[in-house]
Amino acid sequence: MDPFSAEGELLNIHSAFHSGQYQNVIEFDTTALSPENQLPAQILKLRAQIALGQTDAALAEPAIEEDTPDLSAVKALALQSAGKTDAALQLAQELAANYSDNNTVQVLAGTVLQAQGLGEEALALLAKHQGNLEAVSLIVQIHLQQNRTDLALKEVQAAKRWAQDSLLVNVAESWVGLRVGGEKYQSAFYVYEELASAPSTSAPLSIVGQAVAEIHLGRLPEAEAALSAALEKYPADVELIANSIVLNVLAGKPSEELESQLRQIQPSHSLLTEIQEKSELFDAAAAKYSAKVSS
Amino acid sequence: MQSSPNMLTKFESKSSRAKGIAFHPKRPWILVSLHSSTIQLWDYRMGTLIDRFEEHDGPVRGIDFHPTQPLFVSGGDDYKIKVWNYQTRRCLFTLNGHLDYVRTVFFHPELPWILSASDDQTIRIWNWQNRSLICTMTGHNHYVMCAQFHPTEDLIASASLDQSVRIWDISGLRKKHSAPTSISFEDQMARANPNQADMFGNTDAVVKFVLEGHDRGVNWVSFHPTLPLIVSAGDDRLIKLWRMSDTKAWEVDTCRGHFQNASAALFHPHQDLILSVGEDKTIRVWDLNKRTSVQSFKRDLDRFWVIAAHPEMNLFAAGHDTGVMVFKLERERPASAIYQNQLFYITKEKHVKSYDFAKNVESPPMLSLRKLGSPWVPPRTVSYNPAERAILVTSPADNGTYELIHLPRDATGAVEPTDVKRGQATSAVFVARNRFAVFNPSTQQVDIKDLSNSTTKTIKAPAGTTDIYFGGTGCLLFITPTHVSLFDIQQKKQLAELAVSGVKYVVWSNDGLYCALLSKHNVTIVTKSLEQVSTLHETIRIKSATWDDAGVLLYSTLNHIKYSLLNGDNGIIRTLDQTVYLVRVKGRNVYALDRNAQPRILEIDPTEYRFKLSLVKRNYDEMLQIIKTSSLVGQSIISYLQKKGYPEIALQFVQDPQTRFDLALECGNLEVAIEMARELDRPNFWTRLGTEALAHGNHQTVEMTYQKQRNFDKLSFLYLATGDQEKLSRMAKIAEHRGDFTSRFQNAIYRGDVEDRIHMFKEVDLYPLAYLTAKSHGLTEEAESILEACGLTEDQISLPTLEHPLKVAHPIVPTFKSNWPVKAAGHSSFEKALLGEVGAADDEAGADGFEIEEEEQEATLARETLDDDEEDASGWDMGDDVNVEEDVDFVNVESAEAGAGSSEADLWARNSPLAADHVAAGSFETAMQLLNRQVGAVQFAPLKSRFLDIYKASKTYLPATPGLPPLVNYVRRTVEETDARKMLPIIPRDLETVANVDLQEGYAAMRSNKLEDGVTIFKNVLHTVLVNTVSSEAEVEQAKKIIATAREYILAMSLELERRALSTDTPENLKRSLELSAYFTIPKLEVAHRQLALMAAMKLAFANRNYSSALSFANRMLANGGSAKLLDQAKKIKAQCERNPQDQIDIDFDSFAEFDICAASFTPIYSGSPSVSDPFTGAKYHPQYKGSVCRISDVTEIGAPASGLRLFVPSQF
Repeated sequence: MDPFSAEGELLNIHSAFHSGQYQNVIEFDTTALSPENQLPAQILKLRAQIALGQTDAALAEPAIEEDTPDLSAVKALALQSAGKTDAALQLAQELAANYSDNNTVQVLAGTVLQAQGLGEEALALLAKHQGNLEAVSLIVQIHLQQNRTDLALKEVQAAKRWAQDSLLVNVAESWVGLRVGGEKYQSAFYVYEELASAPSTSAPLSIVGQAVAEIHLGRLPEAEAALSAALEKYPADVELIANSIVLNVLAGKPSEELESQLRQIQPSHSLLTEIQEKSELFDAAAAKYSAKVSS
Repeated sequence: MQSSPNMLTKFESKSSRAKGIAFHPKRPWILVSLHSSTIQLWDYRMGTLIDRFEEHDGPVRGIDFHPTQPLFVSGGDDYKIKVWNYQTRRCLFTLNGHLDYVRTVFFHPELPWILSASDDQTIRIWNWQNRSLICTMTGHNHYVMCAQFHPTEDLIASASLDQSVRIWDISGLRKKHSAPTSISFEDQMARANPNQADMFGNTDAVVKFVLEGHDRGVNWVSFHPTLPLIVSAGDDRLIKLWRMSDTKAWEVDTCRGHFQNASAALFHPHQDLILSVGEDKTIRVWDLNKRTSVQSFKRDLDRFWVIAAHPEMNLFAAGHDTGVMVFKLERERPASAIYQNQLFYITKEKHVKSYDFAKNVESPPMLSLRKLGSPWVPPRTVSYNPAERAILVTSPADNGTYELIHLPRDATGAVEPTDVKRGQATSAVFVARNRFAVFNPSTQQVDIKDLSNSTTKTIKAPAGTTDIYFGGTGCLLFITPTHVSLFDIQQKKQLAELAVSGVKYVVWSNDGLYCALLSKHNVTIVTKSLEQVSTLHETIRIKSATWDDAGVLLYSTLNHIKYSLLNGDNGIIRTLDQTVYLVRVKGRNVYALDRNAQPRILEIDPTEYRFKLSLVKRNYDEMLQIIKTSSLVGQSIISYLQKKGYPEIALQFVQDPQTRFDLALECGNLEVAIEMARELDRPNFWTRLGTEALAHGNHQTVEMTYQKQRNFDKLSFLYLATGDQEKLSRMAKIAEHRGDFTSRFQNAIYRGDVEDRIHMFKEVDLYPLAYLTAKSHGLTEEAESILEACGLTEDQISLPTLEHPLKVAHPIVPTFKSNWPVKAAGHSSFEKALLGEVGAADDEAGADGFEIEEEEQEATLARETLDDDEEDASGWDMGDDVNVEEDVDFVNVESAEAGAGSSEADLWARNSPLAADHVAAGSFETAMQLLNRQVGAVQFAPLKSRFLDIYKASKTYLPATPGLPPLVNYVRRTVEETDARKMLPIIPRDLETVANVDLQEGYAAMRSNKLEDGVTIFKNVLHTVLVNTVSSEAEVEQAKKIIATAREYILAMSLELERRALSTDTPENLKRSLELSAYFTIPKLEVAHRQLALMAAMKLAFANRNYSSALSFANRMLANGGSAKLLDQAKKIKAQCERNPQDQIDIDFDSFAEFDICAASFTPIYSGSPSVSDPFTGAKYHPQYKGSVCRISDVTEIGAPASGLRLFVPSQF
């Protein structure tokens, strides 16, 4: 039986991870789990640590040095997050070559490859999955990042046929929905709203999703309500801050404070780097023009 | 045999066999006559036995309430008919005459008659007013089991063991006994010569029809309330339906089903149903039209003897071997669900309708649920899913069924639903966008189903679960008889459990944070995580509840609407004349569904609970608001405030001096207390005030109260304590004056005045004491003289040992000069709010002023301008002479097919020829190219923040897979669009914001004389409009107007700033200054602002004796009109200038010529002379400025070739 299925004992930890409740995952009591589920649970816990930025703690876990493909894949991800990209890439490629049918390897090595810009390589690895929903969700994201909404949509629709109820598929469908727009915005909103309002799935991840959907729907006051409430709860969540900046600019409100906050927490956020880039671009482009007569 | 799930028993009594039942027409009372000779009066709503009447001897079979009087009648096996008064609880009199058991007794609906049926084979009519027998009807030849009046006509129906039912005409009796005034001659003749006499000479009551059809004795007969129908029940186990016309009567049909003697039968008062009871221990319900059994209800052991219907309400009562049961056939609560401003509900016709709270309109029927469940069973609940626009309806029929139905887009009438999913369950609720839960009590199992009705998950419900409710997203509430538990569907685990018994309904607050659990007599408010917040108990049944937006729960009982705050404080809002089910509160309106499933709006006064709510939340401003705007008085609110510890607030409501005094003392508000004490002026108030003031250390008040009470001793002591020597000696004088020696002595001691003491002792002939005093204080001379006066010598008296006399201490601190506060009489924050409000109102006027120079008058001027502004806000003169030419020849960039791999931002740049869209796409170069071509933009630096803002707002960051960067999505202004070729970005600060916010800020800066700020604001307006998009041609025009307005204001403000920077010490500068002030009047400002400019120019010209110019400004001001003060000044100056219309200093300003102002040199460009203009703003310049950057926009090049600004592409919309 699939341990992540509705009846499986890993359901809760699994859905906590995918709804972004990383702290809950780390604190999850795994002692009662059956032996064959111990490893997946441990992997989820390590991944939650990595997602929370506690890469050093994750790398310090003795288990991570074990020579199993699953744990090696986690190590690759940890290395990637820790900024040791070369080592990560090497490990990921090695794993992809040798253990391409391992679910964890597919997802985590795929993540590392995509993060390093090797989208096609990642897709090739992921294509070998057999009913691995996490792989599906990653494929969808890679397609979206490559702006291939059409392929992402196909992938989601295929997955829906055999796993309609899955949290992962629902969320992935929402990702695509937010790209497609129109009526799909509203559907995406419903999905995220549902996640954000249920205590078992509420996390910055889902709140940001809800607010983003509302921004796209043009419902700025509602988005603001969601974001400001969430910011009070999770003041250091980068995506919350980044989207709050976008919202403030849209609503004609000052955003400098949030920007400096974001700069402190994650100076490498694409919002900041792109603005910097564009600012330079502006100056360069503006320099090409001047008045005929200087006054 | 089919048992009925719908029989709703409301009350059951335990007693011996019940043979007769009667409902009180108004009160919730039922009379039960028992086989044991007792008559019981029950309150079936409260379930209490009110009274017992025990005068009959043997079984009592007949019983009836009088429709209006406090009377009832009973008939028993003692052959007696008794009439009782239930108020005095006595039997008024007994009607004797029957010769055997009396079976039934009934009052006539209007006339003072009683109808009785007896085993002596007669039916008798009695007049209970004069207590006489007025008619005896004979004809039946066996026991008469039942006789009833027709509700409206002069007819009687009787049933007898002779197997017949007879219909009697009693119109003759009515004529005979009606008032004699209107009797015609014919009537008198008829009465004198009875020609239709029966064999006993009786014409009062004649048999009209004899209905034969029963094979055995007939036990009961009833008329239909409106139709000419009769129903009878007989020992042949049949219920027969009869119809009659004026001339004949016939059997219509028979209802077969009872397998023992049928005891009684009647028609449902409102529906086409027949109800019957029998000795087979069943109550049966029959369809009147089809004569088929609709449902039946069986008791295990008790045979039924009688059934009665409530005359108005949907209630029935049946008497059986061990008591009585009161029941309803069906629930009267209409199923309904609310989503935002819409109520979805199911009518009595089983149509689904919606009601819009915002518009207060009912929709036409949307669906017909006729086929749901069985025809006589209404749906129980409905749950609505906004995402799918679907409803989930449950019906108790067939042990519980549910149906999932999609609502049609538009309500077009009661159509039969298509695509219905159904199943077995007693409860069904939506739990998520695409999931619903159904509960099956037989298996104690909850199935989570998707919209195709297939089960995705199964949950075992806690033991004893009776119902489920929505428990917040992804959660369910399980209701057991003793507990409520919150269950997370996904994690399949119970999150919380709370012991609340008998919960029947669950009502969530609008924000989903709280929920009210309604039991029969309790309301428990819990948080969304099922923590109990408060609970309250009602003695009467709670029917429904709904939440106010502010978090106040309004609930309805059988006869009240009440409220409860979260802390459990509750009260009555209004009474109800009929039971309603609340669905929504909005302002002063409560929306409810009545028992006929009609939406109703009830007005309420929310003041009380709002006030209490703001009190609890300490929202003093709102409380003030409520106090000021509504008449919130009454003892209840005062005692509430007092109880809650807010006497100072209660003080604000009270007028009655005594209460005010009490409250003032309680909150230590001495000022008010003094005021009230003065008004009341009674000793005990002064005493209480004195005590309180003493506790406060407010001795001045204490002094006053003692004075008022003429309490001299206390006063003296007070003066001693406060060290007020002066007053103390005055007290001594007063004491002397009053001849009160004790007081005088005391005062003397207080003051340490030995002489006075000795003097006083002497006066009262207490020489020994006087001597002793003198001696002890060393006043030997005085002592000697006393001795002398007494004729004694020193050795004749023996003195006790003298010690040192006590010296009175002198006060060190002059406490009496001011109070010595020992208790802080601080103002509560509420009072502060009261005071603060008063203060704030004072300095509202004159907050900002427009000051040209430091002249006094300017202040008034500014204020007047302010007023003007408000007077004619619509009078903005936007200036419409600028025509930015629309260039439609712009080469539209070919929109290529959306190729794979290109981001949406790239598409935007391809899709649009508008600069703003290119900026949003991040394609700054092309945006600049466009602006350069359209409006000759050359200096982009001022636009940088605008560019970056637009770019920043163009996309959102959606976190996806952990470990990867967030997914970037582009925010569109074309929200509905899914065609990649038509997608366009959102541009922040649209034209509406510019017009309503930025422009107004600019005007405000003008008004308050912040000209530098004003220039910045208006330039920002120009930049915002320059890089923007609009959605219609009309908005293009509006944008042009905004550009023109901003241009004029920037020009005007720059002129004035230039003038202020100028020192006026040289003649040239003075001339320039005068000119600039004159030019300041030229830009097309809004009228009120132009008046400011004219005023300034006029004054400056006048002060410098340029009377001619001043005159022309004055004339222009007068022509513009406006506030009287402004015009007065203009008139005055005009009058003075007209005496000598000459200019002292010649300036370059021709008030009669047409000219523009060069925005660079601030000199006139007269019409006809050459000029260049700015392609964006349209500002005019002298030709020598061609090619430089526009002073107004700071961006564009003067005189540059340009195609005109584009903000709008028609094909985009």
